[in-house]
Amino acid sequence: MSTEALVDQIRAIAEQYPERESAIMPALHIAQERYGWLPPEALCEVADALELTPAYCKAVASFYDMYHLRPTGRHLVEVCTNVACALVGAQQVVEAFEAELGLRAGETTEDGEVTLRAVECAGGCGYAPVVVVDHRYREPVRPENVPAIVEGLRRAP
Amino acid sequence: MSTPELVTVTIDDRAVQVPKGTGLVETALAAGVEIPVFCYEPRLGPAVGACRMCLVEVEGMPKLQAGCTLTAQDGMTVRTAQTSAKAADGQNATLEFLLVNHPLDCPVCDKGGECPLQDLTFRYGPGRTRMTFPKLTFDKPIPISPTIALDRERCILCYRCTRFSEGVSEDGELVTVNRGAQSMIATFEDEPYRGRFSGNVIELCPVGALTSTQYRFLARPWEIQNVPSVCGLCPVGCNIDVTTREGKVKRVLSRNHPEVDEGWLCDKGRFAFSHPHARDRITEPLRRVRRRGFEELSWDDAVDEAERMLRAAGTRIVTALSGSETIEQAYALGKLLRQGLGAHAAVLPEETSTALDALRLPLSAIRDAELVVVVGDQPVEERAPVVDLWLRAARRRGAEIVTIGPTGSIQTPPGSAPQVCRDLAAENNELGRRLRGGQRSIVIWSGPDGRGGEHIAALAHALGLADVAGSGAFYLPDTPNGRGVADAWSAVADGEPADPEPIALLIVSGDEAAANPGVRALAERAEMVLAITMFQGLAVGWADLVLPGTSYLERDGTYMNLEGRVQRLRRTVIPPAPDELAWLAKLAGRFGVELSPHPSLVFEDVSARLFGGLAFADIAATAALPTRAKAAPRPPLPEPEPQLGGDGLRLLRYRSLFSGAAVERVAELQFQRPAREVEISPEDAAAKGIASGNEVAVRHNGTSVALRATLNRRLAPGVVRIADEHAGDLGARVEVGRA
Repeated sequence: MSTEALVDQIRAIAEQYPERESAIMPALHIAQERYGWLPPEALCEVADALELTPAYCKAVASFYDMYHLRPTGRHLVEVCTNVACALVGAQQVVEAFEAELGLRAGETTEDGEVTLRAVECAGGCGYAPVVVVDHRYREPVRPENVPAIVEGLRRAP
Repeated sequence: MSTPELVTVTIDDRAVQVPKGTGLVETALAAGVEIPVFCYEPRLGPAVGACRMCLVEVEGMPKLQAGCTLTAQDGMTVRTAQTSAKAADGQNATLEFLLVNHPLDCPVCDKGGECPLQDLTFRYGPGRTRMTFPKLTFDKPIPISPTIALDRERCILCYRCTRFSEGVSEDGELVTVNRGAQSMIATFEDEPYRGRFSGNVIELCPVGALTSTQYRFLARPWEIQNVPSVCGLCPVGCNIDVTTREGKVKRVLSRNHPEVDEGWLCDKGRFAFSHPHARDRITEPLRRVRRRGFEELSWDDAVDEAERMLRAAGTRIVTALSGSETIEQAYALGKLLRQGLGAHAAVLPEETSTALDALRLPLSAIRDAELVVVVGDQPVEERAPVVDLWLRAARRRGAEIVTIGPTGSIQTPPGSAPQVCRDLAAENNELGRRLRGGQRSIVIWSGPDGRGGEHIAALAHALGLADVAGSGAFYLPDTPNGRGVADAWSAVADGEPADPEPIALLIVSGDEAAANPGVRALAERAEMVLAITMFQGLAVGWADLVLPGTSYLERDGTYMNLEGRVQRLRRTVIPPAPDELAWLAKLAGRFGVELSPHPSLVFEDVSARLFGGLAFADIAATAALPTRAKAAPRPPLPEPEPQLGGDGLRLLRYRSLFSGAAVERVAELQFQRPAREVEISPEDAAAKGIASGNEVAVRHNGTSVALRATLNRRLAPGVVRIADEHAGDLGARVEVGRA
């Protein structure tokens, strides 16, 4: 997608809001889909499209957990570590992923395949602990399920 | 207006009556009780209750409340930390919490001694800590711009600075990034905070997190003096406190005049104060010897020399004024030349008019307006920056702001403001009809060629605004005191100015006049030139005698601002040379003219003629605005200017706020000066195959200027915009093409 197309798409969405700046969240999602994360130039493009400042876009993007201000791997594993999940062993799930992938939460494997993140509430408290793999929920996930998940990612196209 | 309903609130057993809806902090103050605050600042919009310092106990509410977020309701009973152990406990805990990560590096902090966090900890704080773990540390200080340093360790996240950026100056450049415990104040990436009002966040910061790079480590609050004065860099005349130490200006702070500036100050007014210490400051009289050579001479010799020049020239003298002289200086010059020599010819800094005196309003009336229409070729923020803040405040309050001009919300070609005035005055004009029917309608002229305010006054009269108390008109002049200078000069004598030919002596008063190409052209024709300037770069080289000038920070006297308000300048530091009045008085004596070297006495003389005998000592620290004049002239509506024919794009030159002799001499402000760029509308850019950032050539009549193109969506098609200092000799019609 070209910069012009991105800006046009964001402006079209902004039309649906009474205040242009209310479109910031979907706009950031669109930009993130294009780049895989939100580099400074993406924030500048969103700002340009919505006539906001890049600083304002950065403020919003850095507040929410679902926007990535650093590059991510080809696959994304997000483990919810908020209260409900933490009470039923989310920390152990994070540690299992860390061991299996050989990294710390927040990092990406050296081959650029998988990024592991500990995130805020994913909204699946009834099925805790929740793990979000490439935007799909797996729940509940126990440490013993982790090797199979990672194996699946390694084999995925 | 109906009187607001009064309610009774009891605070710490003291009953107080206030209008319903008054903030609880103010209500408590009325009862003589302090509710301590950090984040609360009514000028920043609704309270956010971020810092929790204001915790109070309210009868009927189970938990402690953030007092700053409450308003006075009838029968409310409030207990502060003074009478409630629970509130005291809460406040104590709040302070302990705020100090968990605060470095307590007060001995090396600029804020130390004038710091709300220090003061409130002293009065309400726990005095000892239970925390034994390490404090959060950050890289520090981070220069968020060349003028402001950020120390994140000291920040208590009150959000005053970001609320200012978002909700007052509306520049959106300073924000909070991240969330919760990781929150911090930041600009975008490594970009500097580039707003026109950024310096206000330094004053708003209740701790030492945002400090001035110019003031860093220079003084302790108990060894400085704050001198109340008025900024002399634009016609708004913002009230300022000038901090001095050992005879030098160390910083400039805002001083709240609720009708003029509401305590805000632009970055030029705040940061340009170091210009009197510029390397090329002239401190001794200079006489030209041979071609372009110069020698210093003593003051006695200089006054003799000036006397000789004046006697030789007689009436064949032209005086070019800058509009930055005080009223007293202009009057003194006039008295010497007009009364002493009969030399009446002058180049006034700009056209002025008394027509607006019948439409006078305080600037704060803009905030309360319903409808404001701004006409003219130049944006308000470049000419009179704080007026822009009043307009933004009005818009936030629900007013409609319509700007009509080349970068306006309604786009018109440059030079069309007279036609716009005629259109608005016509019976069938919808916007004009609404201005006419409104109770709080304001019209503003922002740009050149306004005949000193006559054109906008004519429009305002045609709309009947003079008869409505909340309505009126403003004119944004070019110079800080152009009206005061012109009025003082003309009040001296009645003699008719006849342009002398040839000019025997040209007197150039001030650096602005010396930089004016028109004045330089006159100098070519003059047999002798006497210049009064502060800096070497300007008149040295073509003036026969240069006498050192002074800065507005070094003078006692008065300025008249764009509202027509006469305000006091105070001498904050002693200038490195005698001030203008001192030697003018001496010189006047030699021509039999009685002139006092004391501004207060000169003002008395002026005041009898211009200000109804207002006494110097009666000009309050926050000066009053005279009432509307009944007998002011009613000029006719302006004749439309013929639209400029020819091919190519219309060049709109503008003078950036960050320009002029003072700004050029302040290193910290260089990043704010206009970039070498040409603004072009997206339509014209597309037609010419130009993209933002392209190097382009702007051509006119054989001259060509290389600039970077930048797209400006607000710019009318057919117009390009370039800052004066980068426009060179380009004329009104230009061709723009890829370089």
